[in-house]
Amino acid sequence: MVLKTSASWGSQIFEISKMVLTLLVALLMGALVMQLSGKDSLQAYSALFSSALGDPSAIGNSLLAATPLIFTGLAAAIAFRAGVFNVGVEGSLYLGAFAAAWAGFTFTSLSGWLLIPLCILVAAAVGGAWSYIPGVMKARLAVDETVTTLLLNYVAILFTSYLVNYPFKVPGIANAMSAEVAPAGHLVRFMPGSQFNAGFLIALAAVAIIAFLMKRMNLGFEIRSVGDNPIFSRWMGMPTEKIIEKVMFISGLLGGVAGAVQVLGVHYRFAANFSPGFGFTGITIALLARNNPFGVLVAGLLFGVLRSGSSTMELFTDVPRDLIRVLEATVIFFAAMEISWNWLRRKRNGIRR
Amino acid sequence: MEFVVNVLYSTLRVSTPLILAAMAGALSKQVNLLNIALEGLMLFGAFAGVVFAAQFGSTWMGLLAAAVLALALSAIFALFVIDLRVNLIVAGLAINILALGLTAYLLIVVFDTRGAFIPDNVVALPHWNIPFLKDVPVLGRILSGHGVLVYFSWFMVPVTSVILYKTPFGVHLRAIGEHKEAAQTAGISVRRVEYLSILLGGFLAGLAGAQLSIGDLALFTDNMTNGRGFIALAAVFFGNAAPGLTAIGCLLFGMFEALQFRVQVMTGLPPQLLQMMPYLIVVIILVIISFHKKQRRQAL
Amino acid sequence: MAYLELKGITKAFPGVLANQKVDLSVEKGTVHALVGENGAGKTTLMRILYGLYAADEGEIFLDGKQVNIRAPQDAIRLGIGMVHQEFQLVPSLTVTENIGLGMEISRGPWVDRKAMRRKVKELSEQYGLYVDPDRQVAELSVGVQQRVEILKLLYRQAQLLILDEPTAVLTPQEIDALFVVLNRLVASGHMVIFITHKLNEIMTLCSKATVLRRGVVAGTLNVADTNEMEITRLMMGQRVEIFHRQSAEISGKPVLEVSELSAVNDRGLLALKGINFNVRAGEILGIAGVEGNGQSELIEVVAGLRQSKGEVRLGGVDVSQATLRQRRQRGLALIPEDRRHQGLNLLGSIAENIGATRYFQSRFSHLGVQNHTELENAAAAGIREYQIKAESPDAPVSTLSGGNAQKVIIARELADEPILLVAAQPTRGLDVLSSQAVRKELARMKSEGVAVLLLSADLDEILSVCDRILVIFEGQIVGELSPAEASYERLGLLMAGHVAQKI
Repeated sequence: MVLKTSASWGSQIFEISKMVLTLLVALLMGALVMQLSGKDSLQAYSALFSSALGDPSAIGNSLLAATPLIFTGLAAAIAFRAGVFNVGVEGSLYLGAFAAAWAGFTFTSLSGWLLIPLCILVAAAVGGAWSYIPGVMKARLAVDETVTTLLLNYVAILFTSYLVNYPFKVPGIANAMSAEVAPAGHLVRFMPGSQFNAGFLIALAAVAIIAFLMKRMNLGFEIRSVGDNPIFSRWMGMPTEKIIEKVMFISGLLGGVAGAVQVLGVHYRFAANFSPGFGFTGITIALLARNNPFGVLVAGLLFGVLRSGSSTMELFTDVPRDLIRVLEATVIFFAAMEISWNWLRRKRNGIRR
Repeated sequence: MEFVVNVLYSTLRVSTPLILAAMAGALSKQVNLLNIALEGLMLFGAFAGVVFAAQFGSTWMGLLAAAVLALALSAIFALFVIDLRVNLIVAGLAINILALGLTAYLLIVVFDTRGAFIPDNVVALPHWNIPFLKDVPVLGRILSGHGVLVYFSWFMVPVTSVILYKTPFGVHLRAIGEHKEAAQTAGISVRRVEYLSILLGGFLAGLAGAQLSIGDLALFTDNMTNGRGFIALAAVFFGNAAPGLTAIGCLLFGMFEALQFRVQVMTGLPPQLLQMMPYLIVVIILVIISFHKKQRRQAL
Repeated sequence: MAYLELKGITKAFPGVLANQKVDLSVEKGTVHALVGENGAGKTTLMRILYGLYAADEGEIFLDGKQVNIRAPQDAIRLGIGMVHQEFQLVPSLTVTENIGLGMEISRGPWVDRKAMRRKVKELSEQYGLYVDPDRQVAELSVGVQQRVEILKLLYRQAQLLILDEPTAVLTPQEIDALFVVLNRLVASGHMVIFITHKLNEIMTLCSKATVLRRGVVAGTLNVADTNEMEITRLMMGQRVEIFHRQSAEISGKPVLEVSELSAVNDRGLLALKGINFNVRAGEILGIAGVEGNGQSELIEVVAGLRQSKGEVRLGGVDVSQATLRQRRQRGLALIPEDRRHQGLNLLGSIAENIGATRYFQSRFSHLGVQNHTELENAAAAGIREYQIKAESPDAPVSTLSGGNAQKVIIARELADEPILLVAAQPTRGLDVLSSQAVRKELARMKSEGVAVLLLSADLDEILSVCDRILVIFEGQIVGELSPAEASYERLGLLMAGHVAQKI
């Protein structure tokens, strides 16, 4: 990491091309699976990409699919950058989504200019506070954050499910859902026939804010320092425990906003078990992006394309959309392999006495 | 009374996949390669079990396939974690996603069905009515009449314990988990022991999956494991990876599962709150342990 | 007759000749001391013998036959065993399990506990290494753990035992017990190579002593025919003592006052046992000592990174409860001993490393937003002032040589006009020119009225720059000398635990 934001374009392009290469390997893997199971992979992929990028509303749907992934990718990335392995973004997402829905169906008299920020704020606070708990447990008591965040995900998912099944159950609806968010709280949709909405712009803003935080602000400097070398950071007098707590709060906050944006932009309600693992895909995206906020944007868009194209692919070529998960697993393996090898190489020669 | 018998009977039944997976988890935790992939390995085992049972018309073939294929998948996990040095958690998550995607994909491609696969030519694994015991009042109705894997899982608890504490392999495994360098300087082949631990775990997780799909019924549904791999991991933390205590954790968590439907029907208590319990209990235990460790450190 | 013979062992690491044509021969039934200062090459030599390093040149003979030792397994097979400074024991396993680890006696698929326990009992009674074979190692004291380590070697039928500073972790009573055991071992024909710094141990335990100095054998002595002075002289070398400076009267106010400081180390053992000293403005106070005698803990306590009992006053203010950042704001500057981990972020740029203690000050940031231009200007100024050879402030610090990397630390630490500079092993691993540059900085600080606390294992350094010298041994200050009264010999004796009155 260098201080200047004008990091050489060459290295940026190099990073992006590595990302694309990893994705290509995954696509090849998917093709292999398809060929082995007697499917025409070329046809499937062309259906996938044309339906994800073929016309404006297709692009809109891809951006829509990318929106929550950009948030969860950022959430994972900022924690990873500080050396904190937060795999609990999914839990923050659920709690944030419920909190946003609650604010949205409770303060129905507010105007949109007030209601939307309020919903998002409440979601951010709840999501952040939720992930702050394992943050404190790690910083103060050295409880392994990976295990606690992993387990607490299920607590959050089940707890929100309880909320909409019992205290906030809406009579007359068969499925476990909350009441509807007041219309003033709905995010603007941009095109007919697509749910593509202003949530994407909020995601773009989040990328810019996190990038600014990481590169230009003291907290970002501290996060990078603790992630690079916690011992050094301690010797410099940095409050390393507080930094870990703060980073966990921010990570959860982003997860909470992801949930809010799904509720306010897509569903208008909270539904139990609504997330197909956005939080976990965020981990993949952060790995692929090497924790760089702009990289998260690119990787999030790529996954958005895959996700939104996959349903159409299933429709027209009877290749199941679950193939996407196989691609995702491949991406994780290869991205993680590259990271661990880089780390080993750096350890071997980069360090001179 | 009837209620208690029913709950205890089904506690034993639903604990079985947890126990088998938790024994795999205990092995992996003791060799310090915590296996987050249990969920995926179980799912893959469940899928393979029912598919191969249908294919060969033999439940036993299904059982064999479940164990072998989950073992093969765990070999991929081991390869990435041990030789390619991929982060343990990341690799585990990837295996879980892979299993989730691959089973759903194959279900559609091979059987042309989404969501559930119910073959009509497969019967569940045999159930044993244990002579004498089955005639004992109350106890007989709780302990007898379970599927074979239930009894196998009970058998595996002492076996795992014996492996860990009575065989050279187990001693080496624990030594590596605790102090890898010491094990290395003592001349132990660390890589071999690590591989064996993970592969043995894969085998057990496959059987755990088989219990879900062909243990009592004969069907597979998408994401059939539904977090049981993580409950098994929670039990491993509950029991600090000691087989006996871990199995007790499984029984406890299994009881929560057995209770949740009945309690809901009888008392209206939300099942979700019961389902949360295993995770919450373990997080609280972890905090308490760390708190004590810290106090001991500072006392010096 | 010599059982083990090392002939012409040479081993070079990048930039360092660790062993140069070293000869060593050890006779059956003896304890052979291997002595020398830190970095004299003792551990390297033993690691070669144990198969952990490969020698560049040289031959090893056992019982007259040349042997090839490529890995510890080879050494074990040849009857060579080593007890490392860091014990290689598994805490939750029992004593028996640890001793037999990797070479279990089995009956069928099971570990034959009875047979193993019997063997452990036999060995432990034979040599007086009393242990409870069924206890968990975690419950044992360090002294008993060491017995387990030795039993582990005997179980593997080691004839030659290498003990790397075995007494460093023991209490006096445990040391006595260890010596009894070692004497019994050599009486039964075993050999022991005993690495130590402590002179009295050589005199009481060993029959021969080989002294290494800067990778070369300075001499091999019959302990019966020598004395502590001679060994010290060999260790230190016949150096020209040009440093006899008249110490000027230092009248500055005390800047660092440390009283009754006690602290435990990471193992929970008492590492500082009631330390008292002051450092005055314009004074360089040196703390000499063999590494591992409490220096690391002392620095951490002064920095506020380790809990302690006692008082630390900085500039007249009690800072015992203050955080490191608060202490830095009161004028503390720190050159940590571990440059690569504590002193530098090797993944960061020079500017980031130089700014790491000050980035939050109003000059460098406003409302949490950093002023990169200022940070880079400050870094550029540091690069100029300390003549750091670097392309730009943006360059990664990992591309710098050791000397330039140390200058980055100095540029950072001296930027805020400190009143106290704590420098720990500031020239370790540096070449002559870089070392001189660092010492010149220390002298400049002194002339500007800064109080300097210098911890160093390098006696040349201590003698050439300090106004006053304290010697630390096993967590206590065991002597205070002025440079006029100090000599290598006197310091060496004190550092080796030789009580002051005898000199």
